Amino acid sequence: MSDASALVLENIVVAFGALKAVDNVSIAVRSGERHAIIGPNGAGKTTLFNAITGVTPPTAGRVVFQGQDITRRSVQGRARMGISRTFQITNLFPSLTVDENMQLAVRGNGDGKFSMFGAAELNAGQAERASAALSISRLDTRGAVIVSELSYGEQRQLEMAMALVAQPKLLLLDEPAAGLSPAERIIVAEIIRSLSHDLTMVLIEHDMELVLNLVERVTCLNNGQMLAEGTPNEIRSNQLVQDVYLGKAR
Amino acid sequence: MSSTVSAIQRSALGFVLVLVIFGTLPLVVSSYQMSIANEILIFALLAMSIDVLAGYAGRTSLGHGALFGISTYVVIYWTSVYGGSAWVGCLLGVVVATLVAAIFAAFAVRVSGVYFLLLTLALGMIVWGVCLRWTSITGGENGIRGVGRPDLIASPTAFYYATLAVVLLMTFLIWRFVRSPFGLTLRGIRDSESRMRSLGYGTSAHMFVAFTVTGFFAGVAGALYALFNNFVSPSTVQLSQSVEGLLMAIIGGIGTLFGSFIGAAAIIMLENFVSAYTARWQMVLGVMFIVTMIFAPQGILGTLRMLLIRKR
Amino acid sequence: MDRRQFLKTTGLTVAASAAGTFAAPQILRAAEPIRIGLMAPLSGVVAAGGREIVEGFNMYWEERGKKAAGRAVEVIVEDDAGNPDTALQKARRLVEQAKVDFLFGNLLANTGLAVASYVKGNGVPYFIPVIAADDLTQRNRIKNVIRVAGYTASQMPRPLADWALKQGYKRIATISQDYTFGHEQCAGFAQVFTEGGGQIVAQLWNPLNTADFSPYIGQLGDLKIDAVFAMELGADASRFMKQYSDFGLKGRIPLLGAQNFTDQSVIRTLGEECDGIISSAHFAEGSDNPETQKFVKAYSAKYGKMPSLYGFSHYSGAMWVDQVIEQLKGDISNRDVFIDAVLKSQLTNSPLGRPVRFDDYGNPIYDVYIRKVVKNKDGKYWNVPIETYPAVSQFWTYKPEDYLKNPPFSRDNQGIKK
Repeated sequence: MSDASALVLENIVVAFGALKAVDNVSIAVRSGERHAIIGPNGAGKTTLFNAITGVTPPTAGRVVFQGQDITRRSVQGRARMGISRTFQITNLFPSLTVDENMQLAVRGNGDGKFSMFGAAELNAGQAERASAALSISRLDTRGAVIVSELSYGEQRQLEMAMALVAQPKLLLLDEPAAGLSPAERIIVAEIIRSLSHDLTMVLIEHDMELVLNLVERVTCLNNGQMLAEGTPNEIRSNQLVQDVYLGKAR
Repeated sequence: MSSTVSAIQRSALGFVLVLVIFGTLPLVVSSYQMSIANEILIFALLAMSIDVLAGYAGRTSLGHGALFGISTYVVIYWTSVYGGSAWVGCLLGVVVATLVAAIFAAFAVRVSGVYFLLLTLALGMIVWGVCLRWTSITGGENGIRGVGRPDLIASPTAFYYATLAVVLLMTFLIWRFVRSPFGLTLRGIRDSESRMRSLGYGTSAHMFVAFTVTGFFAGVAGALYALFNNFVSPSTVQLSQSVEGLLMAIIGGIGTLFGSFIGAAAIIMLENFVSAYTARWQMVLGVMFIVTMIFAPQGILGTLRMLLIRKR
Repeated sequence: MDRRQFLKTTGLTVAASAAGTFAAPQILRAAEPIRIGLMAPLSGVVAAGGREIVEGFNMYWEERGKKAAGRAVEVIVEDDAGNPDTALQKARRLVEQAKVDFLFGNLLANTGLAVASYVKGNGVPYFIPVIAADDLTQRNRIKNVIRVAGYTASQMPRPLADWALKQGYKRIATISQDYTFGHEQCAGFAQVFTEGGGQIVAQLWNPLNTADFSPYIGQLGDLKIDAVFAMELGADASRFMKQYSDFGLKGRIPLLGAQNFTDQSVIRTLGEECDGIISSAHFAEGSDNPETQKFVKAYSAKYGKMPSLYGFSHYSGAMWVDQVIEQLKGDISNRDVFIDAVLKSQLTNSPLGRPVRFDDYGNPIYDVYIRKVVKNKDGKYWNVPIETYPAVSQFWTYKPEDYLKNPPFSRDNQGIKK
């Protein structure tokens, strides 16, 4: 494994009984790389994400993050190492305000989450990070709004903001543009493009056109297995990918 | 930030109302009615301890009545069987209730929803069973008689004000607790445990601490009850104690804290005053609960608060 | 109590507390009614027994025109729900708000003990015709808690154990509800039976509200015993008798019972299955004593059923206290005088047809019947005396001082002689 690899997946298998949702997948993501995982519905993309974040530990294989084997580490343990994610199906705290969502996101990797009699407000440094993340995600004016009253697009933006504010080393985006209108998709794409290139990013996306303009490398999954890997151009021209994925999609 | 300020103002109003209403009651009511008010204060604290879990962490506990009762048992046992001081007894009662809460918590953090409800119910039933069967210590279903209160708080009025002071202090602590960063994590766990974990929170550890802390508050209520009732039997730890505490929290309004005072007052007054007119008072209680669920599912205070916010 | 009365008493209470407790002038006393607080479980699992408590108690005062020594008697009934915490709450209400002169009643031992602990602190007289917990008149005596027409749990089964020995029974098993009242009654039986040379082969304890007794009855059937002693109450008693008969043990192994096992409240709904069961008690509705029969007829006429122990005890308890009030000419303002007078008094003209007095510990001494369940001429089952043990005290034949040195009975301490 090279020093430049931020995330290495070695022969990952995730089986649910007899069904292998992810079957022997190996990917290496360089530090600072933007990597997309594509594939039709049911290809095993989200399951692979769950294996990386620890929600569903792999049945076989290894997950190595920054040289450390984290295959058996807990979800929160991985999060504290700097792995941040968004969810395909919006997963926020709907009865709390945007600010409160951000407070939770900021403190997740830091101190003060067990403070029982302190004030709820963030300290100056944390507050600055939170407002920076909100402004990147274009939610700066929405702090006091209850999340369940945000538009769907805004909720997706908040997903991004919460993942970003933790100052992750690895950002996992699970279909960040799912269900958005074309106009909203453009906003999300712009947010992603504006992120620092020091940040390693793995992105699941259904929408080829959106994703191929954002990333440097692409892995295509089908039925849990690796179909192809390469640059966006290589993938675009790959016959197998066109057959199982593009052919069907168009 | 304006909503935060008004929330603090609302809570301050709550404190002032509790202080004024309960503080002046002894001047205008009979000694019996004062003892009812005393009981309301104690049960409001129990209801609040349940409300922290139910209203903030989204976990409905049916085990807090048992934690409450354990503290009562310890205080009565310490003072009447062992012959120790009531002050030390109260301290021990709260400590034991908190420790047992920690044991409960170790089991309960693994589950949520209806499984949490059933698990806490089962743990509470175990406590009840032990109190019933361990006759040599607990006196079986005959219970244990206390030896009365220490001189300083022996008079009903002195004890009433002592209770009021303790309950107000505990209310303040609970209020700070739910508004702290830790309190926010409980609301986060209520809304989405998976998101909390992916943000780096060990949700089990948070639930463990939350359960144990609420056990402490239930224990304080139980110790007060020991001094108030001067008697303990398995009915103090039985399921209906937990259910009653939960009903008080629900009728007052889940997640409102001060609603617990309203809920406790409603139920205890109903039990005592309506029962003077009809033996069917339990039916009246049932009807009241159903009416609350249908017309004010957020409880009395929760509904009032909603109406106020809407008006603005 | 109606609403107006409630407001009135509340008003009085407020006024009285404002004026201070010493303000009530002595002269007004005679004109004021005597207020009695009666507590009984009117809801919950033992509500049926609770209602009979109220019936027996009210029947007595109605016969007396609701007067005692010229003073009107006002009975305020409260539901204790069979729960000690509720009982305590209601006792507080009766004493502190309704300002009753004394308390009466309760059915379950734990409710009685809770109220007892409350009146220990304030000295209010509390009369308990049904609360049978041993220690209330033994190791933890409270002077103002008095068993008028009541009894101690372990007191009644002792003569039955003696009778069983005389029948030549050597090996007996007990089955009982698993709570203190059952532990104490079984212990009274087991102690006398083993000291007389008998053997307690097994002791089975079933939880309250046992729906299916077959596992227990199966065990009893295999034990090669001469008789079974059963201590069950309410619906458990009916179910046990029914299943004992269904499984064919009836007629094969004689069945002995605690007094409440064959109480009228249990057997009035039963048939064949209760026939011939032997028990022991101070009251037997089938006794040919004219006083008893007069009471049974009057009670049956009024309520359409024969009196149970609950009805009898509260009728007689009311009578006992009434006789003392008469003796004091209606002045019960001095509680110590009142209590001492009760403790020294004798109950006469009661449905028992024989005078009853207290021992030195405040528990009545009774002639105890060995009773057999038989059908009367109306085709209803009742308890008929077949033998009498005179003057049975709670201490049986032991010296009280020696007896009280032993630890109280429990499930583990059954007083069995090894």
